[in-house]
Amino acid sequence: MAAIFEAFRFKQKATFMHSLDPRTTFFMAVSFSIIGMLFLQIIPLLLVFISMAPFILLARSTRQWFKSLQGLAILAGFILIINSFFISFSFAISTVLRLVVLMTAFSLFFLTVHPDDFALALIKMHIPYEFAFAFSMAVRYVPTIATETETIRDAQMSRGLELERGNILQKVRNYIPILIPIIVSSIRRALQVAESLESRAFGSTAKRTSLYDLSLRKRDYAMLLVTTFALIFALYVAFVVRIQFPFLLPDWFFWGLPF
Amino acid sequence: MSIEISRLSFTYSGSDTKVLDDISLFIPQGAFVGLVGPSGCGKTTLARCLNGLIPHFHPGNLEGSVIVQGLNSQEHQAHELAQKVGLVFQNPENQLVAPTVERELAFGPENLGVPRDEIRQRVETLLYQNNLLELRDKAPYELSGGEQQRVAIAAILALEPDILVLDEPTANLDPLSAYEILKLIAKLNQEMKITVLLIEHRLELVLPLIQELIVLDNGKILMRGPPAEVFNNPLVSKVGVAIPRIIQLMKQLDNPRIRATTPLSVDEAIGMILKEVRR
Amino acid sequence: MILFKDVGFEYEPGQPVLQNINLELEPGQVVGLMGENGAGKTTLVKHINGLLKPTTGAVYVNNIDTRDTSTAQLAKTVGFVFQNADHQLFADTLQTEVAFGLRNLGFSKEEVDNRVAQYLELFELTRYGGQSPFLLSGGERKRLALASVFCVEPKVLILDEPTQAQDALQKDKLLNFIDSFRDPEHILLLVTHDVEFAIRAVDRLIILSNGQLIADGSPHQILSTPLLLDRARLLPPQLTQFAHLMAKQFPQFPTNVTTLDETVEAVNQLLRGRR
Repeated sequence: MAAIFEAFRFKQKATFMHSLDPRTTFFMAVSFSIIGMLFLQIIPLLLVFISMAPFILLARSTRQWFKSLQGLAILAGFILIINSFFISFSFAISTVLRLVVLMTAFSLFFLTVHPDDFALALIKMHIPYEFAFAFSMAVRYVPTIATETETIRDAQMSRGLELERGNILQKVRNYIPILIPIIVSSIRRALQVAESLESRAFGSTAKRTSLYDLSLRKRDYAMLLVTTFALIFALYVAFVVRIQFPFLLPDWFFWGLPF
Repeated sequence: MSIEISRLSFTYSGSDTKVLDDISLFIPQGAFVGLVGPSGCGKTTLARCLNGLIPHFHPGNLEGSVIVQGLNSQEHQAHELAQKVGLVFQNPENQLVAPTVERELAFGPENLGVPRDEIRQRVETLLYQNNLLELRDKAPYELSGGEQQRVAIAAILALEPDILVLDEPTANLDPLSAYEILKLIAKLNQEMKITVLLIEHRLELVLPLIQELIVLDNGKILMRGPPAEVFNNPLVSKVGVAIPRIIQLMKQLDNPRIRATTPLSVDEAIGMILKEVRR
Repeated sequence: MILFKDVGFEYEPGQPVLQNINLELEPGQVVGLMGENGAGKTTLVKHINGLLKPTTGAVYVNNIDTRDTSTAQLAKTVGFVFQNADHQLFADTLQTEVAFGLRNLGFSKEEVDNRVAQYLELFELTRYGGQSPFLLSGGERKRLALASVFCVEPKVLILDEPTQAQDALQKDKLLNFIDSFRDPEHILLLVTHDVEFAIRAVDRLIILSNGQLIADGSPHQILSTPLLLDRARLLPPQLTQFAHLMAKQFPQFPTNVTTLDETVEAVNQLLRGRR
């Protein structure tokens, strides 16, 4: 299940997607998500998904995205079964497709944007520095805490802890010796980091400057334009055409499995 | 100028025991002072008093005064004091908050609102002076412990403090990395005239450079003076301060002249024995 | 009792962390394991209690292949005290903390109570009785972690960086403790950077570098070999340095002195001879 996070883990790469301003990528992710939410039919959703594929490829992150897909499989299977049972298999497939589209849209963002650049973007969008910083701190320490969790788990297993033993209630209790050290450790770490921040004048009254700055370039404007058109077109089809002129839409638009 | 501590006592809020008890200390500009003592003696607390973390970040009852470069720690905010006193902690990972080394060095000046051009200049200088040019774009988790600590120190230097306080900076490092960091600190003291207060268990490596050694025990200064003098004092071993093996050796020899000496390094010891032999 | 046979390990295919590890640890030994950060020391040691299983080769503990058993099972024989005590402590009282391992391994209530009292006493923690482990000082928490692993009375004990953040008195106590653990039935494995501590505590030293064993033998000899020290990023202990520098000046000075007393005697002799 932890594999699901693979598509959200930033890796520094020199690709077109990585070079975009984080605001652009964010706009693309949100737009694709909206487009994904607009449709419930299988074929349109597939089209949306196919149109996103080149971007994942451009970001050279197919392997990570695929790993996430595998992690998603359990959730997807669950949704498939429930929806097939209560509504129809066709509907279930389209729901799963929607899930994949949403996941892909946001993984596009997280794969190619470094948390600190995102923090910078937030600041440019006039969100107070403390919030942006808190966010990037959280992301920066996720791998640290993850490693520590493994160490803690190893330490407790070395004392004979068996995580899989017992009924469901017991299994939950088995995690207490792991959870508590994680919490205590994280609190200790937070205090240490805070001390270090204070020692480097964090929160000083002066207006904060930054070494790097974000600026939109030609490629950003190009992507923003393309995405805006796609969004407008999708909205047009979803609301105007579908509702007022459904006869304009080809038959295959509404194709679905008979069951 | 530098550090003037006057009858300093401190009790953390929520506690009854004084962690520091009536400490008075003067450390002149450019000095290299070592601070040792058993676990729990108050070393870390003292370090925190020097850059304002106490009392601004850790509330409690502070008596007496701490004046660094003319600024009273109780009357100035931590960020003002941060420009006078840099504090380097034990765990390098929890001191690195930026995605790359370069941005880490910029972090401090950014907080102070230093103009971008000047930040760029400071960063480039520090990268060069501290041998970090090749690590410029690396993330913290890609660095070894020694490299991380070097970056942490450089990041503190970016604030251009006159005083550097280091709280067991080599505790998490392997011996060779520890040695390299201590050499760096010695260089900062000698070449850049930065006042250094070093809290360390593993003093052997810097003993020849330390001008004064302060031994803290139970919140009080037990003894202080040039290292040779301090290690001559029999009280030292009772307190849990590690006496370098070479000194232990010399103190157990039959020859009374050699026993009276206190070598601060292996080379010094050999020198003393040679002198004795040539008599 | 512990056998590594042609062991290789990789976390990800193509990136070996351990290679060609052949190692035998016999009861009665106090063994030191040293090496640079990233050499694979912790990885190697995790194979002993089954936290990791070898990618190639096999690890045997008392003739049982670690792949045929579980870490929980091996916990009866192998005790592992991790570097950071805070990664272990979780209970509401000291007693519960110490009892944790014993309860996991199925000891009777009576036996649990007995051992908890006994080991809290041994580690000088009895006066903290029903308190929370988190209120103890750093050194005390370390002792608590030690107590909670020792009380199981494992035949094999692994200590990862036991001297870190310990002052001189605490280290002396640790040395005493190690001496008391030294007997024909126990194996003690210390993973450490601390050369001064190692040379006083261990009978046998193993150096791991870049995933491979590059030395296995006399601590004194190994810690005087510049090439090995360099690879493992270690500095020689002061007395070892001293002995070798003395030998350069006085060729008859013995370089095989291992303890403080032996060195003192050697220097005394030298000075007497010069009269």
